[in-house]
Amino acid sequence: MTAYVLRRLAQMLPVLLIASFAIFAMIYAVPGGPVAVIAGENATAEEVAEVTRRFGFDRPMVVQYADWLGRALTGDFGLSLHSRQPVLQLIGERLPATLQLALCAIIVALVIGIPVAIASAVRPNSWLDRVLSGWSALALGVPTFWLGILLILLFAVELRWLPSASRYVPLWQAPLDAVRSLVLPALTLGVYVSGVLGRFLRASLIGEARADYVRTARAKGVPEKRIVGLHIMRNALLPFVTIVGLMMAHFIGGAVVTEAVFTYPGLGRLLIQAITTRDYPLIQGCILVILIAYMLINLAVDMLYAWIDPRIEYR
Amino acid sequence: MTETLAALGSLLRRLLARRGPALSLVFLTLVALAATFAGLLPLDPLAQSIADSLKPPSAESWFGTDELGRDILARVVYGARTSLITAFGAVLIAALVGIPVGLIAGFYGDWRDSLLMRCIDVLLALPNILFAMALIAVLGRSQGAALIAVGIAGIPGFARIARAQVMALRQLDFVMAVRSFGGRPGYIMVRTLLPNILSPLVVQAIVLASIAILLEAALAFLGVGVPPPTPSWGEMLRTGKSYLYEAPSYAVLPGLVLTLTILSFDTIGRALTAILDRDETDASGATIGGRR
Repeated sequence: MTAYVLRRLAQMLPVLLIASFAIFAMIYAVPGGPVAVIAGENATAEEVAEVTRRFGFDRPMVVQYADWLGRALTGDFGLSLHSRQPVLQLIGERLPATLQLALCAIIVALVIGIPVAIASAVRPNSWLDRVLSGWSALALGVPTFWLGILLILLFAVELRWLPSASRYVPLWQAPLDAVRSLVLPALTLGVYVSGVLGRFLRASLIGEARADYVRTARAKGVPEKRIVGLHIMRNALLPFVTIVGLMMAHFIGGAVVTEAVFTYPGLGRLLIQAITTRDYPLIQGCILVILIAYMLINLAVDMLYAWIDPRIEYR
Repeated sequence: MTETLAALGSLLRRLLARRGPALSLVFLTLVALAATFAGLLPLDPLAQSIADSLKPPSAESWFGTDELGRDILARVVYGARTSLITAFGAVLIAALVGIPVGLIAGFYGDWRDSLLMRCIDVLLALPNILFAMALIAVLGRSQGAALIAVGIAGIPGFARIARAQVMALRQLDFVMAVRSFGGRPGYIMVRTLLPNILSPLVVQAIVLASIAILLEAALAFLGVGVPPPTPSWGEMLRTGKSYLYEAPSYAVLPGLVLTLTILSFDTIGRALTAILDRDETDASGATIGGRR
């Protein structure tokens, strides 16, 4: 297992290398690019030339990339063009907030999604199944930003129970404040993910329910609860985990949008800020960090396989 | 060609036989008609009147007015244009790139397959919205940039479906017959294989339209979509969010239209998938009576 994880981590390196080069090349291709941002809108030709030379933008692109990469490997992603703070520090300040939101959203999704899937898979095509499948479709189809707005309208504007803009409060410092700030964003993102869980877990549960071993278990007189909870669930989880892994990309996208709705100070909002202010080193850093997170989550999903299904061996 | 049309026609009839998809189709037709003939309606999405800003829905303006006193209903109707143009253009881009990629990869199945599918995997590995945002950061905000960004996100879907379908068909007798008559690879792919894989591709186009509309609105909501003053549903939600206390309907009504549009495309797409799946299992006779 350790060897497998190490090899997977090693396989991530070329992907990251290609991705970072692609991002670098894209930014390099922008007319004006970082020079225009540093020198300002009304810079004279001399000022532009001065900035170009001083920051080394006149060197060949590959040399610039090698220079950036060399520093990135030592943890130096450069300075933000606007706040002049190290990119890595800015990202480090936002990362815990995003992780906390993601964790809570996943809990919400599991609490809603799994019971919905089981209840509708037990009696496929019953009225309950139709209602719950409708719920999953709704959870998937309603844009997270609109759901967020509706929740703010209800809980913040009308009822005044919760704040409309969420702050980041670490859970271990002030649990109550943190929960107040997290409820709405976590619900928004969690409902969306619960739709994914509900729809796919239902399909995979129904598929497994037709398998021979289920008939055998029934014939032996195993109680229905045990059949669903132990036999079917365990086998249905496998394809389901794959899908959850694939859905992680959407999850990250949803998190970016959700953070914008609740003005939650996470990584997603930092990236949007960076894009709107054309803060290129920051864009680069954010995208790379999100990509790394995405790949690590995928690795975690693959390792979950082994835990759920001991038949799978990793070498 | 007539056969393909007849097949699509029968698909449409079976679709209309069910309530959800039929309602969805009616709603989408309404949206499409409004977007196409918006110019004929007595609605002006750009006329400002600061004195009438942030009015609640009333007899004169059914959806109320926005912060500049513009009629929200007019902006929703014209916003349908932005949404549908982006969806249509993005699906077109995705199909024009994705289908040939899938055809070639599936037809040859050699190094061309490995190379093309690796590229598709890379596209698939990047979260859609991140990729779109990065692209717009480079291209700048414009209708074209939004179109391309959303379109590229749809390429993998088409490529994978076309490839899987072609791989299932390429060894069948009718394809071998054309081949033995001396049909060239290009001819076989376009004239023999493509007409036979059209149905799943049409379904994919509809599913993708719902994703494209959502993605376009999300980009606009984040402030990197089609630039103002062009009305866009996502942009309206973005601005409406600032006036939740003064004019709650501002963000609610455009969002409702957006959501219904997405749900309609999704409902039709899923219904069509179910119909095609059933045809397939009926044809193979595999799971008839499989229900408990």
